[in-house]
Amino acid sequence: MIAAEGLRKVYSSRFGTRTVRALDGIDLSVEAGEVFGLLGPNGAGKTTTVKILLGLTRPTDGSAQLFGIPVGDPKSRQRVGYLPEGHRFPGYLSARQTLSIFGRMSGMDRATLHARIPELLARVRLSDWADVKVKKFSKGMTQRLGLASALVHDPEVLLLDEPTDGVDPVGRREIRDLLREEAARGRAILLNSHLLSEIELTCDRVAVLRRGKVAAQGRIADLTAQGSRYRMTVSPVDEPLLEAFRASGAGVERVNGHLVLTTRDLAHLNTLVDTARSRGGVLSELSPVRSSLEDVFVDLVRTGEAKEEEEKIQ
Amino acid sequence: MRAWIASVEEVFREASARWTLVAYFALSTLFILTFALAVNLDIVDGALAGAKLFGKAVDTGGDKLDLNKLVLGFESGFAGFLYMLGTFMALFATAHLVPRLQEKGTIDLYLSRPVGRTKLLLSRYCGGLLLAATNLLYLFSSIWLIVLWKTGVAHPRFFLGGLVILFGVAALMAFAFLIGVLTSSTAVSLMVTYAIFLFAAVLAGHDRIAAAVSSEWSAQTIHALYWIFPKTAELLRSTVALVSGGQTLQPFGQIDTLAVYGSTALFGIAALGLAAWRFSRKDF
Repeated sequence: MIAAEGLRKVYSSRFGTRTVRALDGIDLSVEAGEVFGLLGPNGAGKTTTVKILLGLTRPTDGSAQLFGIPVGDPKSRQRVGYLPEGHRFPGYLSARQTLSIFGRMSGMDRATLHARIPELLARVRLSDWADVKVKKFSKGMTQRLGLASALVHDPEVLLLDEPTDGVDPVGRREIRDLLREEAARGRAILLNSHLLSEIELTCDRVAVLRRGKVAAQGRIADLTAQGSRYRMTVSPVDEPLLEAFRASGAGVERVNGHLVLTTRDLAHLNTLVDTARSRGGVLSELSPVRSSLEDVFVDLVRTGEAKEEEEKIQ
Repeated sequence: MRAWIASVEEVFREASARWTLVAYFALSTLFILTFALAVNLDIVDGALAGAKLFGKAVDTGGDKLDLNKLVLGFESGFAGFLYMLGTFMALFATAHLVPRLQEKGTIDLYLSRPVGRTKLLLSRYCGGLLLAATNLLYLFSSIWLIVLWKTGVAHPRFFLGGLVILFGVAALMAFAFLIGVLTSSTAVSLMVTYAIFLFAAVLAGHDRIAAAVSSEWSAQTIHALYWIFPKTAELLRSTVALVSGGQTLQPFGQIDTLAVYGSTALFGIAALGLAAWRFSRKDF
């Protein structure tokens, strides 16, 4: 439903004396029913990517499509809901008027909106504020109204930039649930957020952007799995068993009643399991050790920075 | 069409919320009431026997004046005055339409909808024009009704003045939109458009100005500018002429209607076309 290939974007100063490469060959695809997270430090190109997908900014090179329609064509936005970061709805409109105007701009008729708006306002817990001017809303309420506005025409693709920004923990949980519900209905969701814990809880796949490039992309479970580290709970654990593990070349740590083993590969892991069993050990747990998405993110960013430093020195 | 109507509706809601619409109509009402209360006419057998302005008797020369002619003269003069007032107020009330649309955090909300950029800009232009038309209709209808009430004379020609004013406003508003797209500043677009309005009026005397300058090149530039800019002074004369049915045209001289309206329309179309082209190519 969302596809981008080789997206490049170079911003130039007014007289072309300075240029900034915001995107440098981004490939993305998001399928129906998937929540895809776009991560990256400030200036990595997340918002530029979303803006290109919406036709707000033109790519210098590459192409992007929504539903197979090039993003420059307004028709590609017919079934797209967008929540921009730092959005400013006209303060003189009430929540109901806001949804009515933006709903009609998305091609909806008044009769459909008449039924749809109360339902949506209830979904984002703004029913009591339906006829209050937006200028009186708190940041969290404005954010929820933004989400309702993105959903007003029941889009099949949702592009959300920091959707939980300024929302309290309960509200964040509700927004997460709402997004999972939409994904379960087959909607494709592209989520752009700095809150890695939110991304980890909501997304199926992520792409980490760094300096306009995709530094890593994949399922969260795959990105956070540390390929060679495993948690083993076995009893009894004695010193000869640990010595046998070490003798095979494995790294061994005792942590809170279980072992964390660093192995060469899966065959090595199986050898360790055999060793434990041959000594009468009973295995109750064996699982790969995962790091948090934040660890992966920080590692990717720091590794990239270190590489750049090396290149500069050379 | 739904998107178009929604956009126009938003222009009116915005004008109303920002007090622009209220101030716009309040000023017009104040003007109309002042006029209604200040003028008292003494009509005898369809002719004016006496008149009072702000309670003071106006010298009518002792003779009974032809009321029909008097009303015609009055309405044509008044239309000229409304040309200035209506144009300035219309531009003031609509100059923010593009700069506010282009504000960070706002433009994304509009452009993410399945509405083409040109259509979005033109729908706001139509909203602005409709706002100006509503105010002009209010001003002209009220004055016309007051005149009818006070004199019993009805000249539907008076409304032609409103149409000419709206035509001038359309051209100047297009230019304000162009400056708004380029600078994203309400103040700049208002100042530059007012400056063009006044400068174009001065250029009405382009023949005399060109004769006064020393070089041929300067003279040609002045003539060229005259033909590029809207004919604001000539439109004023045209307003007066149309309302009076040509009876008060002599003091202003003849008007080349086609040249005045044609070049002003071209200016407006070019400005709006450029605004739409730039808006559709802009990165936000």
